[in-house]
Amino acid sequence: MRKGIVASVVGASLMALGLATTPAEAQNLRIFTGGQQRPDVMRKILDVFQERNPGMKVDIEVGGATSEQQQQYLNTVLASRDASLDVVLIDVIRPAQWAAANWAEPLDGFLGAEKDAVMAKYLPAYRAANIVNGKVIALPYFADAQFLYYRKDLLEKHKQQPPKTWAELQASAGAVMKGEGNANLQGFLTAGAPIEGTVCTYLVPVWGSGGDLTDSGGKLALGADAAKAPFKLYADMKTAGVLPANIAEIVTDRARQMFQAGGAVYNMNWAFNWNRFQNDADSQVKDKVGVIPLPGFTADRQSTCIGGWQLAITAFSKNKEAAYKLLRFLSSPEVSKMQAIAASHLPVFAEVYADADVLKANPWFKDALPVVQSARSRPVSARYTEVSEIVRTNMNAYLAGTKTAEQALGDMTTRLGAIYR
Amino acid sequence: MTSATPVLKHRLTPLERSERRLGLVMLAPAFILLAATVIYPVATLIWTSFRFQHLAQPWMGTPFVGLEQYWKGLTDPHFWSSTLNTALYILVTVPGAVIVGLGLALLANQPFRIKWPVRLGLLLPWALPLVFAGLIFRWFFEFKQGIVNNALIWFGLKPLNWLTDPTLAFIAICIAIIWKSSSFVALVLLAGLQTIPKSMYEAAEIDGANKWQQFVEITLPMLRPAIFVALIFRTITAIQTFDIPYAMTNGGPGNSTETLAMYIHKTTIDFLDFGYGSALAVLMFIVSVIATSGYLRYTRRDPSKAGR
Repeated sequence: MRKGIVASVVGASLMALGLATTPAEAQNLRIFTGGQQRPDVMRKILDVFQERNPGMKVDIEVGGATSEQQQQYLNTVLASRDASLDVVLIDVIRPAQWAAANWAEPLDGFLGAEKDAVMAKYLPAYRAANIVNGKVIALPYFADAQFLYYRKDLLEKHKQQPPKTWAELQASAGAVMKGEGNANLQGFLTAGAPIEGTVCTYLVPVWGSGGDLTDSGGKLALGADAAKAPFKLYADMKTAGVLPANIAEIVTDRARQMFQAGGAVYNMNWAFNWNRFQNDADSQVKDKVGVIPLPGFTADRQSTCIGGWQLAITAFSKNKEAAYKLLRFLSSPEVSKMQAIAASHLPVFAEVYADADVLKANPWFKDALPVVQSARSRPVSARYTEVSEIVRTNMNAYLAGTKTAEQALGDMTTRLGAIYR
Repeated sequence: MTSATPVLKHRLTPLERSERRLGLVMLAPAFILLAATVIYPVATLIWTSFRFQHLAQPWMGTPFVGLEQYWKGLTDPHFWSSTLNTALYILVTVPGAVIVGLGLALLANQPFRIKWPVRLGLLLPWALPLVFAGLIFRWFFEFKQGIVNNALIWFGLKPLNWLTDPTLAFIAICIAIIWKSSSFVALVLLAGLQTIPKSMYEAAEIDGANKWQQFVEITLPMLRPAIFVALIFRTITAIQTFDIPYAMTNGGPGNSTETLAMYIHKTTIDFLDFGYGSALAVLMFIVSVIATSGYLRYTRRDPSKAGR
């Protein structure tokens, strides 16, 4: 018995030595992604990587459907310093928190002298989002922004123009709904449930009226009129019957499903949904969808929320060198192009937007670049999950009609005040 | 204590000593397992609750803050609103599950020719994971596609905003919890029912008691211990209510259906505030001790003296 243990310990250490002296042996990496970030497309991309790097094998672990659910899982994995994940796909709002918690391996050491040259190639918003306190925390995988999807066929049928302002949107949605006379047709869909997407539902109209959650000095700016704009906007839509009665239970992907089933005139949603509307087998709206920038209160001041997914190496990974190699491949113009064609993921490099093959798959990408370039970031904070929870629960309570605009804004101010001291 | 020692202290024979040693050795695995899975985590929880430990603010370190986070909890309106919600769930779903469970148990105790479909029907909700039950009921109560609103429309009524109105959401969640938990109660009560001898009912019938009198005079009193066991278990799980409201409303609209367990989960896992989350968890532990101590006092009483 004891002899057996000794033998296996010796054997294991010999094996460890063997591994240490021959690093070219098989390398296994594990990458984490959410279910909505198209793991199927990632698998095809990883197959290309494995082909070019014999001996390397990359497994995908697919996690929760929403950004919060993924992060909840990752919080438990990383708080316990688990080494099972090497690379993680994280939401654009997370790098500050990951940097603060020391969960991401800073990439500066790997990038070395190349750092500035490499980072300069990305769209400015993504360069900024991934550098926290001067350190590169992650590299962009794909870009995203919210757009307005509309039913081309219905707008044409009822002689409406694609809207440039919220007032036009409300009027044309009302006209189409009246003309169709279909009780199952909704006017405008966006996220309203207490989830991350509802933060954008609140912030887009705030930005659209020239405001922000915080002012340039990082102080809360909820006293300004702009902070009240979303409440007025959605109240008007609700009164006009353009917003569904159950808006407070709708999550982002539910809005996508409803629009895809032909149940709505307008849907404020992320760019990647284009591919679903056009290519999903169950789509009722194939070739009937148009996509334009989100409206503003005035036609010249449109605004949108920036999204997108970033690749970070976990601080606990035991294969950081190999993981970095994978990162550079996944965050390359070549992979950006592959994703754009296969999944309508917005590229993180300006030049890919002009690529002929990309434009063939997504004709509207030619107008998408300026939207992504002008898209706004949700507040950057190490305590972003708390900021997000405060904004989304209050917006949700307002949409459900359980809080007035004053109560919702008051509660937001009190609770956010404790964070933005 | 000191007066008792001389009585205990008699010389052990070598055989007795080795028996005792063997006994300790055989207890050790159970003790170590318990220490690793219960004592260590609980001790860590209490220790963490006295420290500031926020993973998103590691530059603050983990200083000892004493009772500060308990005070923060007691002055946090969010803590009180989620405690109140939890209390409401307990008040509605514990008696609700016992009443429905008693009905189910009485039904299952009927002399059916084929027993297994009834028993299976009883077991299924219990065997289903909580979060599945939550998701199923979320679809039942969904505004557009849900069968509950479909039924309302069928009867010519207006569809209701089940999951986005605080009162209706509370009702919907209670229905789901009662459906889910009453089968466990029914199983416990069914076991109790089967211990009641048939002869008692036969004697009552001879004495001219009707079915209702038999139920009140025989079934209920004989079932009291089983009902109390069910109540204790149900109350303890009700204090920890998490999965079903999490899946059905995620605490919405606003925070109006959020339970204490959900608030602790949010504070710890979402906000990464381990210190404050631990303090809240200790507070919840205190709440559950208070809530169950009444039952515990009852069970400690001598059963032979437990009159009506």
